[in-house]
Amino acid sequence: MEDHDILLKFQDPASRNLAFNQLVRKYQSKVYWHVRKMVIDHDDADDLTQDVFVKVWKHLENFRQDAALFTWIYRIATNECLNFLSSKRRKFLLPLTDVGAELAAKMEADPAIAGDAIELKLQQAILRLPDKQRLVFNLRYYDEMPYEQMAEITGTSVGALKASYHHAVKKVEEYVTRSTDD
Amino acid sequence: MKPTFKLDAHPRRPRPLLSEPPAGYFDKLPTQIMARLPRADARPAVPGWLAWLTPALRTGLASVAVLGGFAASFFLSGPAPEAPVAVASLDAVPRTELVGYLLTSGARVENSDLAVLTAAHPNITKGFLHASEEELVQALDDQPSEDPTYL
Repeated sequence: MEDHDILLKFQDPASRNLAFNQLVRKYQSKVYWHVRKMVIDHDDADDLTQDVFVKVWKHLENFRQDAALFTWIYRIATNECLNFLSSKRRKFLLPLTDVGAELAAKMEADPAIAGDAIELKLQQAILRLPDKQRLVFNLRYYDEMPYEQMAEITGTSVGALKASYHHAVKKVEEYVTRSTDD
Repeated sequence: MKPTFKLDAHPRRPRPLLSEPPAGYFDKLPTQIMARLPRADARPAVPGWLAWLTPALRTGLASVAVLGGFAASFFLSGPAPEAPVAVASLDAVPRTELVGYLLTSGARVENSDLAVLTAAHPNITKGFLHASEEELVQALDDQPSEDPTYL
């Protein structure tokens, strides 16, 4: 079902729940993996994905459609992730590297990555990036999202996003090269 | 020298190598999310007109209402009615009646009390004490001199 149809059905109280259920089914996987790449842990990703859709439900009535529905949902998901990571840092008074180390430890414990040394180094390098730069890296490298859409989601200019991604790639390549030398 | 790592040369994956969510996760997720949505027929926690106010303003309004209630009840209740004066001045009661009351009411009045009273008012105890003046003086002299009552 097209986004336009979902939104039309959502306006009608009689079909609102059905429309929202279809919206969840359509976007749940993308939202989950977007969140999961940022928080790594499945349980955290599960909680945040549910929170994202509850927020979507609360604000969908006021959605002005000046952006694509999925861009808008992605923006909510992105904010939830960044808030989650910063509150985790505040809660435990952890510096940036410690949260990165915690995420890297979860990544290393994941059986899916065991045995792939280069992939593990790559993930460690990505997790060392600051949260917002890691977000830019994920959107561009994994999702292959156009910079214009990334700009709508992050509220950052295209030029700044290009620069951020360029620096992120350099940092990742340097880290993996250096750590494979050890 | 080892070759430098180039991201473009690395096989690109759609996402990092993370384990898949539990089986059936995406089948159950919509139900879980729908269960968390606020019910459309759920009554709001506050009346509609209060919903326009911020929580801080609502708290302030409640405090003002409680304090206003106290103030209103204080001012509307007026001055408390005076209790009827039930205590008449003891000066109006003859001393003989007082002594008679004390002796018959079970109050602890001892000879020494009567002796002191006699010293101040020689005639008042004649009806109660059947003792000569010498006996009264003797009773007073027998009282311990360090007792401040008699100083």
